[in-house]
Amino acid sequence: MGMESVLSIGERLQKLLEKAEKEAKAKLAEAQKRAEDMVSEAKAESERRRSVVQRGTGIDELIQEAEERARKEAEKKMEEYEARAEALKKIPKGKMEEAVVFVLKEVLPE
Amino acid sequence: MSSKSLELDTQLIERIVQKRKERLARAEEEAERIVKTAEQEVGMIKADTERQVLSLVGSELRAVRDRIVGRTELDGRKMLMASRHQMLSSVFEEAEKQLEKIAQGKDPSVDYGVILGKLIVEAAVAMGGEEFIVAANERDHAFIKKNLRKLNNQLKKVLGEGTLKLDNSPLDIMGGVVVQNSEGTKTFYNTLDGRLENVKSRIQAEVGKILGVI
Repeated sequence: MGMESVLSIGERLQKLLEKAEKEAKAKLAEAQKRAEDMVSEAKAESERRRSVVQRGTGIDELIQEAEERARKEAEKKMEEYEARAEALKKIPKGKMEEAVVFVLKEVLPE
Repeated sequence: MSSKSLELDTQLIERIVQKRKERLARAEEEAERIVKTAEQEVGMIKADTERQVLSLVGSELRAVRDRIVGRTELDGRKMLMASRHQMLSSVFEEAEKQLEKIAQGKDPSVDYGVILGKLIVEAAVAMGGEEFIVAANERDHAFIKKNLRKLNNQLKKVLGEGTLKLDNSPLDIMGGVVVQNSEGTKTFYNTLDGRLENVKSRIQAEVGKILGVI
């Protein structure tokens, strides 16, 4: 009875391992497919852009794309400037006081 | 089932579960590596394409970028300057408030009478001469009138000679004095208001450094 039980568990465990192997292979296949899709999409886009430029047509499209990219870059830059401008306004009280004392020293006669 | 057999079962199950876990983890790791490699390749393809496109129509695309991003850079720098200016202004505004307090004698750490004396002497020394007519606001006028002898002595100590006279028309100023020579040919504006205005542009950079905005 004991031996039968081990065999039965063994079979089930073997199946579990086989299933895990299948899952692992599926995961790898999926990653491989995703990678291939990414690369082939990038290649196709690259080819499209190159041929557009080489034909000398579609410059407007490229300029539009450049404008779009520049607008995004500009938005990001503006956010950075806004953050820097805000940070400039957060001056510690001690520094403000030090600056006021300095001004008074300059204004009042020695 | 004997306890020995049960123990064997348990060991077997644990081993297999561990094996399964390891196999899936390896697969996960490998999958991540594959995608990461692809992402790097995509990055290289894009960069390479951009280089090729730029070499063909670079100047036009650069002009587009420069126009849009350049305008933002300009606006951003203006924004930073406005923030710096705002902070500098608040320092000078606060300094002006403190000067008013000092001039009104409300700052116990400063003897405004001494300051007023120094302002008068400074003006007289700068102009030179023997007789000086001092104008001030109503409050300072009263103080000078009350302390005229003392101030005259102070002036003599520095100039060796000189007499102060009071102009009875009060000035609308925060504090300090306007001193004229007796001929009325020279005037020295030594008001607190004027001195504050004068230092504003001169020390802006130093104030900015103290604030850490430059």
